[in-house]
Amino acid sequence: MNDTTSEDGRKSASPLGVVVVEPFAVVRAGLVRTIDASPGLEALASVASADEAMVVVDRLRRGRSVILVAMGLAGEQDAYWLIRALRERFPGHVILGMGANADPNAISRALFTGADGFVDKNVEVEEFVAAIQASGGDEVVIVGPAAASVGTIAEGIERRRSPTFRLTRREREVLVVASEGLTAREIADRLGVRERTVTTHLARIYGKLGVGNRLAALRLAARSGLVSISQDE
Amino acid sequence: MGDTVRAVVVAAHRTVRGVIELACREAGVTVVERAETAAAATEACRSSKPELLVLDLELPDADGFRVLTDLGDGCPRSVLVLADRADGDLVLRALRLGARGYVTKAEGLRDLAATIRRVVAGERVMTPAHEKDAMGALGRMARRAREGADVEAGLTPRERQVLELLGGGFTIGQIASRLGISPRTVETHVAKLYRKLGVRTRVQAISRAATLGLVDL
Repeated sequence: MNDTTSEDGRKSASPLGVVVVEPFAVVRAGLVRTIDASPGLEALASVASADEAMVVVDRLRRGRSVILVAMGLAGEQDAYWLIRALRERFPGHVILGMGANADPNAISRALFTGADGFVDKNVEVEEFVAAIQASGGDEVVIVGPAAASVGTIAEGIERRRSPTFRLTRREREVLVVASEGLTAREIADRLGVRERTVTTHLARIYGKLGVGNRLAALRLAARSGLVSISQDE
Repeated sequence: MGDTVRAVVVAAHRTVRGVIELACREAGVTVVERAETAAAATEACRSSKPELLVLDLELPDADGFRVLTDLGDGCPRSVLVLADRADGDLVLRALRLGARGYVTKAEGLRDLAATIRRVVAGERVMTPAHEKDAMGALGRMARRAREGADVEAGLTPRERQVLELLGGGFTIGQIASRLGISPRTVETHVAKLYRKLGVRTRVQAISRAATLGLVDL
C-alpha cells in the first residue's frame, strides 16, 4: 500500500489502484487480500467510513483509480452521499457501488448520484475481480443478479429526474393531501401541524417544482404519478 | 413443457415473417397471429394474449417500440426484438420496454430458432457487443440525468418558466407579456439561463435543455 508514483513512467505497467470503503472489518480485510492477490490490481487503502474515504482519496497520488463503495455505509454520510461527493471532487476516478443482492432501485440511485457501476458481493471472486478490471471505460459495469434488470435500472434513473422526486417525504404528504382540494387550514388539521407550517411547505414545494400555484403543482405531481387528479365526469 | 407457447409475429416484409414463422415452428412455438403494422400488432397482442411476441422494429406506420409502449403492462411475457441495426440507445430502449432479446436481422436470423427457445425460457439474449453498447447508453443516461437535475436545482422558478417558454418557441416579447414582466427583465433571465446551461445561443440553450430533460420538444 505504499506510494508508488512510478518513476518508470510506463503507465500501462503499473497496477490499477483500488480503494476499499467497507464498514465491516472482516469483509474489508478479505477484499484487500483478494485485490492484492489479483494480477493488475493493487489495494491502495481501505477505510470504514465516508469521511475517511474522502481523506484517503484526496491524498492519492495516482491517476485513475477505482473506489469501491459498500452500499451498506450507514449514517448521515451514507454510500450515496459518498458517491456524490467523490464524483464532484474527484471526477477522474472510477466509483463502483458494492452490495449484496441490491435491488434495482438502489442501483439506479447509485448510478444517478455518480457511480460508474455496481458489483454484487455475491458473485464468484473471479467475476468480482474482472468487474473491477473492466471498470473505467465508457460503459456502466453491472455484475451480479442485477445485470438482468438493466431495463428496470434505467427506468429508475428516469424516474429520479421527475421534479416531484426531489420533494421531501413531508412535502409529498402535504401535496398528496392538498390534492383533495383542502385549504391550508384543513391540511394542517389532517397532518397535525400548524397552518403556518403547511403554507411554508407549500411555498417550498412550488419553488422546487418551479410553479406558481397549487393547481400547477398538482398537475406536475399527477404527471409523475405522485397524486391522481380525478377527471370528474 | 407441455403447454404450447403461442406467439404473435410482427414484421413488415413477408419474407421476414416467413423466416420468423419457420424458426418458431422449429422452436416448438405456435404462431397464432401475424401482423404487418404497429397498429395491427397491438391489436393482435390484445386479442390473443400470446406468451411470445417477435417484433420487427421497422414497421410502416410507426416503429416497433410503439407497440410495446401501447401495450404497457399488457406486454407478452417474452418479447424478442428484431432490428436492422443495434446501437446502445436502441438496445437500452428495448430493455426498458421489457424486451428480453434483441437481434439484428443481419446477424440474428440464422440461429433464430435457438434464440426464440432461449427467450421463451426466460433468458436475455443479445450479443456481448450489443450488451456493452447498452451499458454505454445507460452510463450516458445516468450522467445526463444527474447533470440535468443539478442544472435544474440551480434555476429559480422564474428562470424555469422562461426556459419552458423559450423551448415553446416564444419570442422575448411574447414571454414578457405572458409573464407580465418587461422584455428587459426577460433578457436578464435569459442571460442567466445561458450561463447556467453553459451555452451562448438560444438554439444551443434549447437543445442543451432538451438533452438534460428540462424541456420537452
